[in-house]
Amino acid sequence: MFKKILIANRGEIALRVIWACKELDVRTVAVYSEADRHSLHVRFADQAVCIGPPRSLESYLNIPAIISAAEVTGADAIHPGYGFLSESGYLAEICEACKIKFIGPGPQSIRMMGDKSRAKKAMQRAGVPVIPGSPGVVEDEEKAERTAREIGFPAILKASAGGGGRGMRIVREAGEVKSAFKAAQVEAQAAFGVPDVYIEKYVEAPRHVEIQVMADSKGNIVHLGERECSIQRRHQKLIEEAPSPVMTDKLRRRMGRTAVEAAAAVQYVNAGTIEFLLDAQGNYYFMEMNTRIQVEHGVTELVTGRDLVKEQILVAAGESLSFAQKDIAWTGHAIECRINAEDPVSFTPSPGTIRSFNVPGGPGVRVDTAAHEGAEISPYYDSMIAKLMVHGRDREEATARMKRCLDVMVVEGIKTTIPMHRRILDDPDFRAGRLSTKFMDRFQAPKRGS
Amino acid sequence: MNLDELKQLLQLLDEREIAEFELEEDNLKVRVRKAARAPVVPATAAPPPVAASIPAPIAAGEASPLAPAPAPAAPPPTSEAAGLEVVKSPIVGTFYRTPDPNSPPFVEVGDRIKPGQVLCIIEAMKLMNEIEAETAGEVVKIHKEHGQPVQYGEPLFSIRP
Repeated sequence: MFKKILIANRGEIALRVIWACKELDVRTVAVYSEADRHSLHVRFADQAVCIGPPRSLESYLNIPAIISAAEVTGADAIHPGYGFLSESGYLAEICEACKIKFIGPGPQSIRMMGDKSRAKKAMQRAGVPVIPGSPGVVEDEEKAERTAREIGFPAILKASAGGGGRGMRIVREAGEVKSAFKAAQVEAQAAFGVPDVYIEKYVEAPRHVEIQVMADSKGNIVHLGERECSIQRRHQKLIEEAPSPVMTDKLRRRMGRTAVEAAAAVQYVNAGTIEFLLDAQGNYYFMEMNTRIQVEHGVTELVTGRDLVKEQILVAAGESLSFAQKDIAWTGHAIECRINAEDPVSFTPSPGTIRSFNVPGGPGVRVDTAAHEGAEISPYYDSMIAKLMVHGRDREEATARMKRCLDVMVVEGIKTTIPMHRRILDDPDFRAGRLSTKFMDRFQAPKRGS
Repeated sequence: MNLDELKQLLQLLDEREIAEFELEEDNLKVRVRKAARAPVVPATAAPPPVAASIPAPIAAGEASPLAPAPAPAAPPPTSEAAGLEVVKSPIVGTFYRTPDPNSPPFVEVGDRIKPGQVLCIIEAMKLMNEIEAETAGEVVKIHKEHGQPVQYGEPLFSIRP
């Protein structure tokens, strides 16, 4: 087991890793920017090193500073959390070179899955269902129009180098393709520095259902079931839940098996998530693989009773998985609301100092947060301040529990999206489990009539 | 240091017209600052040297058994007088006062330095980074010891321009 783990992250996920390390009796090193001098992760780690000024590029994304901090503190492993450098093949490679264990998969897996077209090709070779689309990057608008006709409409043009909605265009008939292609290229160039665009069949109003996998270095791969993450705004998840309201045992077995095959095809090690689009007919298509622990991992932990971050550390230390597939069972229903420091209607970021802070407690409640009274929510980093999770015996109880938690969670001094979550939980489509990636568009659309 | 020695020290400071002087040794800390004509000497028996004011302790190689002290709001308070330039570490690494194990230190307390002059080396990831002075002046205090780890923003030298 490692003697000392450096956490190359901040906020709630840095705390989460510290919790796992404390339970494993492993020492921790926090790194922080000057803006995070008073953060809880700095306070609760055994050691802390200031690595730069507030800007992420000069601190949490600063590989030399992070590696140097690991060297001067004698850390023998680095946990990258999520975001920041968690999917940096470069950091994983440098860790290997410096004999520091990167807690995650190897650089090859990270790079392969980070390149969307390569990932898709690897999945196709492995027999994983993928969305019909162009074999790779589309060279020009003539090819774009031909490919779109072959795939069928509606189709979507996507930037190869990125996501988040940029460099994306939906086309519903052949006449739209050429101009949409040129526009997508321009946007992709501006957003990601690379104009590469590929085309896929556009699945209307799909559900975003992802499968959590965990693999050790001995070839054991287990899936821990799905999370439904369809409620998204601009491709940022807002609410996640497990199980998916439409999941059946049979579908879970099929999707789980596919996810394990996908991981095996790339010799995957450590925690990962395979994202699928699930259509109304029960067909699922590989979308992408996230080669890191995810924000919403707690939802899976609540329904399976497993500690995924601890498992990451154990696997990285060379141990076998502490469970087999047959040991995984799902109990009850879990929901997570990502509480952001944003205006609940306009989503304008709301940095500032938290004057008053109270998290709900009681049965079936889990709050992962680094926020507290007096905490400074700075504008330098993302706006998520807390992950409010509930677990109940079924979806109805979980919903009621989440509603009462949102009612009593107090965050004053900044605006938060708590009121938005509260309204979503009352929405008839949400109550009925009628979810898709179109949910927020419909939810936010101005109401017609009364 | 006994009383006689202290008297000699004060005389020496007076002769040389030194306005400010600080000495730390074993259980004794002496700080002298001239106001008008007579120097005021607060000579206190200081407690054993403790790195008390560093916001985030780095125990080189060893984990500290104690929980880290809550970080203070400002950069570490030192006993610096106003008017001193503090050279802070721009990177994380290990602080070396000498260019190599067999050479003397780049600078000592009392040295006059020029802009561009190398003050120290900070080693990070097997690379030796030379830290240069930005202002001219006199080295008044060296905050870290040879071989100690340093973090971003940590004071290294106090210079009187």
